[in-house]
Amino acid sequence: MKQVIRALGWATSTLWIFIIVFSVTALYSVSNIDIGLGEAQIFASSEGMMFSLPFRIDNKGYHDISELNITTRVTDCNGTLITSSQTLVPLVSKGSSIETAHNISISLKDIMSIEFTPLLFSDSFFDLGTFISLNFAHTIPFQMSTNATILWGAPFYEFSTVKVSTHPYNSTHWEVITSLSFENHAFLNITGIIQLEIYNNINEQVTSGETSMDVPSGSRYEGQVITYIDLVDASRLTESGNVRVNFMTPMFTLEWWSPYG
Amino acid sequence: MVEEENKRAFIKNIILRVLKAASWGFVTYILVYYPLVLMYPSGAMPFEYSQLFNVFVAMVVFFAVITKLFSGTILEYAFSVAKALFMIIYFFYAFNGGAIGLTVPVSETTVNLVLDLRAFLAVLILVNLLALSKSVLQATEFLARKVEASELSVR
Repeated sequence: MKQVIRALGWATSTLWIFIIVFSVTALYSVSNIDIGLGEAQIFASSEGMMFSLPFRIDNKGYHDISELNITTRVTDCNGTLITSSQTLVPLVSKGSSIETAHNISISLKDIMSIEFTPLLFSDSFFDLGTFISLNFAHTIPFQMSTNATILWGAPFYEFSTVKVSTHPYNSTHWEVITSLSFENHAFLNITGIIQLEIYNNINEQVTSGETSMDVPSGSRYEGQVITYIDLVDASRLTESGNVRVNFMTPMFTLEWWSPYG
Repeated sequence: MVEEENKRAFIKNIILRVLKAASWGFVTYILVYYPLVLMYPSGAMPFEYSQLFNVFVAMVVFFAVITKLFSGTILEYAFSVAKALFMIIYFFYAFNGGAIGLTVPVSETTVNLVLDLRAFLAVLILVNLLALSKSVLQATEFLARKVEASELSVR
């Protein structure tokens, strides 16, 4: 029995030493992990936008960090998923450092979809859910999650079309002046062409025209599209109808129908 | 006369035991409290963990004193068993069954942290189970020795 007691004593002491050494080195390692965030960058392309957040992890501790997973989910105010991004770092060995970036891509194709089109015309907010998980010392899984609200500024906020006037232009044509206005609440400048087609109350196209736009972020656009119609067709222009607007920018093309009259 | 001498020896023994137990308790306090405070500064700990930490130190010191006070008796092993059982329950409670969750407010948002310490908790429970079984065996051996001695004296 004495041998068994002695063996148990040794096992207990060994395990306590292991626990104490592990606790001390783990705490020392955690306090010596240097995490640095770089400056967030926004890249815009014809396919969409990409937010890039560079970060650096310098593991000066005694234990590895493995299976680092950063996941972000952007949902609209109704909870519909807009985009989801994931960054995986398989291993940050002890004494080493890594530099990488977490990229959140927002596809303009998705934003232009029917589901999200209202986001282009009215301000809203997005929920940004961030979930970080890692495995410390290959034995202690750690998870962190947070939610943040991001305000979304619509690029064509309060877009409106008003048919201002129709008056004779020359002996064969009438001039139709349609005024357009909106506020660019987006963080990007909007440049491009606005194409306009006027349809009467029986949905016949009466006239069309275009104008250019260059609207800096945070500023208001007020412009006019001057179109001409044949005197013969003047009667087809009714008091009310619809305007088909095509916003053509280097990044996207958007079709929008708006009533007038 | 003999009775008085016995009484004096008994009191001396008691005083010695109390002094030994008190000094052992003090040494335990120094060895447990200060390294743990260095490892986990109390300011960095949430209030409930700070309280748990104080309970841990108090109970470790209490068991160190009480086992020393009753050393050489069966109660020494009984308290060792109680200490091991207390440690198992304490660690299970303190580590919330292995998953520690914290909600930390950061500027305008809150950050939820979850630390999965199940593996670490398992090792802590294992070491205390080993200590418990060691104490039970020691108690058995102690009783066996006593029985053996009494049987020898009868013969």
